[in-house]
Amino acid sequence: MVRFKLELTRWARNAMLARPAVHGLVGVRDVDERVLDEALVKFDAGLRLFHLHAEGMGLVILATTTVAATLASSPAPRRSIIALLTVGGAGYPLGYLLWSGLIPYHGLERGKTIAEWLVWIPFGGATIVALWWLAGLLVLRLCRH
Amino acid sequence: MSPLAALGLFLVAATPALAHHVGAYVPKDNAITANFKQIKFSVQAGKFDVAHRLFETGALRTDMSARAASLPPRLEAGLRDALQSRDGGEVERRLMVFFAALARDLALEAERRLADLTLSRDARTAIGQRFLEAIWRYYNLVDFAVAQRDDKTSVAVRLAFDEAEGYVKSSPIPNPDKLREPLRRIAQVLSALIDSSLPARRSS
Repeated sequence: MVRFKLELTRWARNAMLARPAVHGLVGVRDVDERVLDEALVKFDAGLRLFHLHAEGMGLVILATTTVAATLASSPAPRRSIIALLTVGGAGYPLGYLLWSGLIPYHGLERGKTIAEWLVWIPFGGATIVALWWLAGLLVLRLCRH
Repeated sequence: MSPLAALGLFLVAATPALAHHVGAYVPKDNAITANFKQIKFSVQAGKFDVAHRLFETGALRTDMSARAASLPPRLEAGLRDALQSRDGGEVERRLMVFFAALARDLALEAERRLADLTLSRDARTAIGQRFLEAIWRYYNLVDFAVAQRDDKTSVAVRLAFDEAEGYVKSSPIPNPDKLREPLRRIAQVLSALIDSSLPARRSS
């Protein structure tokens, strides 16, 4: 990402300049530079957040699936929780990559909405459901002890 | 692993998983405003030679030259003379005139764009909002200098700006048609400020 930062920024800028209506560009440098700068900052932030979450969610998957494998005694819930945590955790970071890729073509907000519905909500939702499910199982187990 | 330790581990792991954010944007200076601040702080520190070098090599002078036709005569030459003669007050006054002219030109352009009724209401509101941000970014740099010399102008610009912002932000329904009037007022007030600050006009 660092190595290709300049090329990526140049590509995103050119793609945005080719779609002035999408980004609300008005053709006045003093006005447009702020719009382009914000979009480029968010484009870069999306790539950084993808990197950050791709690393972080790996650890989350490891930690939570370890807990599930150790303490969820019933096989069916255990398998479901592990599957949800793995798929959700692995897919969620891709939302940031998708968002970054969509910014030059669809703008900040529309790109975010698409990424939310295609990736963040389903995959993040799977992770959240699995985590609460696992928490419930752990609380039940604590109460029984 | 005990269930209690597992619950603790789960809570630690759940925190980043639930934090879904997309970052925050903090507007940066552009080349002109950054160069203005460099020159201003150099002058305030009494480093006129540094300020002169920053002016000659910076984006502000380039932009000033490019817009010479719409600026008061000898604005650039006078600023250079003031830097060479170490006249801080005159440097500040000429920079104030330059940024007032930038803000005025943006207000006039915004007013012209908002008159285009072929654009949708939302599009005109978005355009108005973006122009207002750009106007304020320039005017805000010199508002203190304006207020020191002519507090009525400063108040008039601020009031017009607040009114304009109200039409694109605070109102329940944005009203880009009403936005044109405060923009016109901003342009008029700033034109008067420029004329009174540097009375000699370019002969055409």
